[in-house]
Amino acid sequence: MARGSQETTTLSLTEAARRAGATPATLRRWADQGVVPLANGRWTPAAAAHARIVARMRERGHSLEEIRAASDEGRLAFGYVEELLPALAPETAVPLEQAARRTGLEPALIERLLSSLGYDARAIQRIPPEDLALLQLAPQVLDAGFPLVALLQLMRVYGQALADIADAEVRLFHLYVHEPLMRDGVPGLEMAEQMEQLARGLLPLASPLMDRVHQRFLRHFVEQDMIGHMEAAFDGEIGDLGRLRIAIAFADLAGYTRLTEEVGEEEAVDAVERFVEAVQITLPDDARIVKTIGDEVMVVAPDAAALLDWAVGFQQLFTERPRPRIGIHAGDVLYREGDYYGREVNIAARVAARSAGGEVLATRPVAEQAGAHLELERIGEVRLKGFSESTELFLATPAHD
Amino acid sequence: MGSFRSPKEFREVMERIFGMMDEDPDMGPRLRDADVPQRFEFEDLDLVVNIRAARPDEGRNLVWEWTDDVAWESKVRMTMSSETANRYFQGKENVAMAIARRRIKAGGDVKAALALMPITKPIFEHYRALVAAEYPHLAV
Repeated sequence: MARGSQETTTLSLTEAARRAGATPATLRRWADQGVVPLANGRWTPAAAAHARIVARMRERGHSLEEIRAASDEGRLAFGYVEELLPALAPETAVPLEQAARRTGLEPALIERLLSSLGYDARAIQRIPPEDLALLQLAPQVLDAGFPLVALLQLMRVYGQALADIADAEVRLFHLYVHEPLMRDGVPGLEMAEQMEQLARGLLPLASPLMDRVHQRFLRHFVEQDMIGHMEAAFDGEIGDLGRLRIAIAFADLAGYTRLTEEVGEEEAVDAVERFVEAVQITLPDDARIVKTIGDEVMVVAPDAAALLDWAVGFQQLFTERPRPRIGIHAGDVLYREGDYYGREVNIAARVAARSAGGEVLATRPVAEQAGAHLELERIGEVRLKGFSESTELFLATPAHD
Repeated sequence: MGSFRSPKEFREVMERIFGMMDEDPDMGPRLRDADVPQRFEFEDLDLVVNIRAARPDEGRNLVWEWTDDVAWESKVRMTMSSETANRYFQGKENVAMAIARRRIKAGGDVKAALALMPITKPIFEHYRALVAAEYPHLAV
């Protein structure tokens, strides 16, 4: 049993062994060999957590010598943070068939829902109570009239977005907290405790922060959707199910690879961050960044003329080198899982690839909507990479006075 | 809607906006630290204002004067109408689009102006509240 305050909690060897998932004799041996550092000879929650990490590393085939070296350098210290997360209780998980009976969902549907969230096959076969509670919401969602095809896409978006968040949290904590402590030569146990304390303070902030940001963006996109529908109705542009008529821009930094070679990765990444931030802060309200890939940004907007105006104005505002190059196209695209797909998206990407630093290239569907304040110079029909037909391109610049 | 009744009212409102930016505990110090002297010309009213970061001994964050006869060089120059300024400070005028549409002419170190945009964003909400409370005819 544990006894003492939070800071000085001492565990019995039996309790430490239970927490670590190893026998008391094994723990004693690991402590004697210095593989698990003890606090003044006492088993503490941190030491038990360390022992659990050692047990896991042993299962993966690492030798005690390797583990001791990693432990001495503090490389295992991050594992302690896992202690702050709700404990896994495999004994409370229920088999898939039982979960199906309790939720009223077909086993195959449970598999589809959980695999859409990104769960691996093993996690789907035995379902813990927390996931069971989530699955019990699914019949309500479907009965309310939300189509299964949309629910599965939403699950995939949630899974991918939350996996990205968790991955970023761990990576950034590692890069900016763990590694500096390792460089400073802080002893393993002390490092683990410092990190555990910091994580204990930060973890409770994550859920309210995500909830707030989610609500804020939900409000924003509901409003944008409403405006988009009104305008589409006026224009007679109601597309097929899952298809949208939008404008797509791709923008990147011309000569980014050369810049990386010349100034190094860190400085080049800083340039990309400034570029992406500049795109973010200058975009019109109804446009949004769908994704960034390296130095490339994909933006969508309901209004091609407004997006073209933004692009031309952005080239006047973002004067830093390397200069951005921007390509814009408009057409019907397929919306799936938070992303946009189809031939028209590919065309937009290829148009951007044809532009030079400081230029905005647009296709005819965009150029036709341009206002008189812009000059659209037809530069001809070009065969874009991967397309058999040629595409008419226009160079957009501010019109002369 | 959205037009100033007179140059006097425009100047009075701009004074209030600059005052809010100067006194705001977040915006003020950040604008002072950014240290980007700007010149705004409101061509329909034939008005010019120059604004700069205050020096440590001036006891504030920003200093502005409604003249070109100032003892400092502007780093960024923006020309627009009073109507565009009103729309901008209510968050209804996208700067990049306004530049393309020639509603805003930007000169000088526009990169520095870009860096100020996220800092000054909170003014939109303050100004909208001011318009709603005291200048409803300026709402856009």
